[in-house]
Amino acid sequence: MHDTAHDLAVQITALQKWYGAFHVLKDISLSVSRGARIVICGPSGSGKSTLIRCLNGLENYQQGTVILGGTRLGDNARDTSLARRQTGMVFQNFNLFPHLTVLSNCTLALRRVGGMARGEAESLALHHLERVRIPEQAYKYPAQLSGGQQQRVAIARALCMNPRLMLFDEPTSALDPEMIKEVLEVMTGLAHDGMTMICVTHEMGFAREVADEVVFMDQGSIVEQAAPATFFSTPNHPRARSFLNTLLH
Amino acid sequence: MEFDPSFALSTVPTILSAIGMTLLVAACSCLGAAVIGFCLEITRRSGGVQGLAVRFLIDFIRATPVLVWLYCLYFILPYYGIRLDALTVGIAGLSIYFSGYLAEVFKAGIDAIAEGQQEAAKALGLGRLDRIIFVIAPQMLRNIAAPMGNYFVSILKATPYLAVLAVPEMLGQAFDIASETYRYAEPLMVAGIIFLSLALGISQGIKWLERRLLAPMSR
Ligand SMILES: Nc1ncnc2c1ncn2[C@@H]1O[C@H](COP(=O)(O)OP(=O)(O)O)[C@@H](O)[C@H]1O
Ligand SMILES: [Mg+2]
Repeated sequence: MHDTAHDLAVQITALQKWYGAFHVLKDISLSVSRGARIVICGPSGSGKSTLIRCLNGLENYQQGTVILGGTRLGDNARDTSLARRQTGMVFQNFNLFPHLTVLSNCTLALRRVGGMARGEAESLALHHLERVRIPEQAYKYPAQLSGGQQQRVAIARALCMNPRLMLFDEPTSALDPEMIKEVLEVMTGLAHDGMTMICVTHEMGFAREVADEVVFMDQGSIVEQAAPATFFSTPNHPRARSFLNTLLH
Repeated sequence: MEFDPSFALSTVPTILSAIGMTLLVAACSCLGAAVIGFCLEITRRSGGVQGLAVRFLIDFIRATPVLVWLYCLYFILPYYGIRLDALTVGIAGLSIYFSGYLAEVFKAGIDAIAEGQQEAAKALGLGRLDRIIFVIAPQMLRNIAAPMGNYFVSILKATPYLAVLAVPEMLGQAFDIASETYRYAEPLMVAGIIFLSLALGISQGIKWLERRLLAPMSR
């Protein structure tokens, strides 16, 4: 991996964010190369979601810069829509549109944002539904699917927009254990296809197998950043160590 | 004077002849009130100065009797060179008056939508208008079918106000018969029964719609 600016998918520099008086992100800097798989972990409330939501304009921030695919994002509508065109996001609670079929969930943005005709959008959507191994559910509604199936639809929906970067915010935390595997398998498949991914997750098996780098956050700061083998075997920071211990027990 | 069933029956055709006008006024006012109410609520939610202004406007609309709206539109607008016919004034007045109530209903319907819906739509790159039309409005309608139907019935029941503008709706027709024949019970009873059946029809229709709309979300 070269470290030239061109190969960077995301560069976050000295990012600071406050919610009122509460300092939620403290001087965050993080570079993510094209094709890299980053896992972000850390205790609840440490700012993981806030950080990745700054990358697609779901949150604003007060200081620092975010460069996405070579473009510096400002706090304006044009940059926000640019960021959203380049990123796909998968949420803990799936957030599928309950009033639309699986297929329409996937085609809505293709048609409204991408300006695609219905037929074209539907065949593209079916392609991505096959990719997440769920094409047979295309005409069902979200409520008719299991949690794992819903999350896979959410992944397909994001993939339809052909993002350069996928953001996952605890995609398996709302799932029953038996469904976690099917979602992680899809995510692993994506990683093998070369997708740049930033995953907030506590699935340490996934992190070990897939991540290039594990980022540990605590109280709004990046406390430790290392290859998964190093992070899991010899975590440096005491808070990382105690966090790993709570995960194991 | 005794109630005369055969006289009552004889008034039916005349009163029914105005059912078209009543339904036209009610349907246009429902649509108008829903459109204005939805725009008010969307503006109110957008915050800022205009959001605050609309908040007061909604309260003001709801606090003003419907007759005041009708009289204002009919008698005061002409001073400003705007001369509307009675039917238009009637529909506009009912639309404005009920838009204030429907805005409140819409508010509850939108508040009940999970926050994640907006976020997912934003993350997909959908613009504000697309989010409103394709994500928020359909879910809102599912949430509020029943209370919205109640207001549609209220709008139907408010159409007789248009009598003050001499719009020939059903109750006005009934009253015309009454003042010509000096028999009030029969025509009023007939008009009442027709209103009742229309109201029942609307609420049944809404129930049916609600079941259909909700079906895919609750299976
Ligand atoms: N809209 C908000 N207003 C105020 N505080 C918030 C808001 N959103 C999140 N926070 C706070 O910011 C902190 C970080 O939240 P979050 O990024 O969701 O953490 P994580 O995803 O790591 O659990 C938490 O303490 C949370 O309470
Ligand atoms: Mg979180």
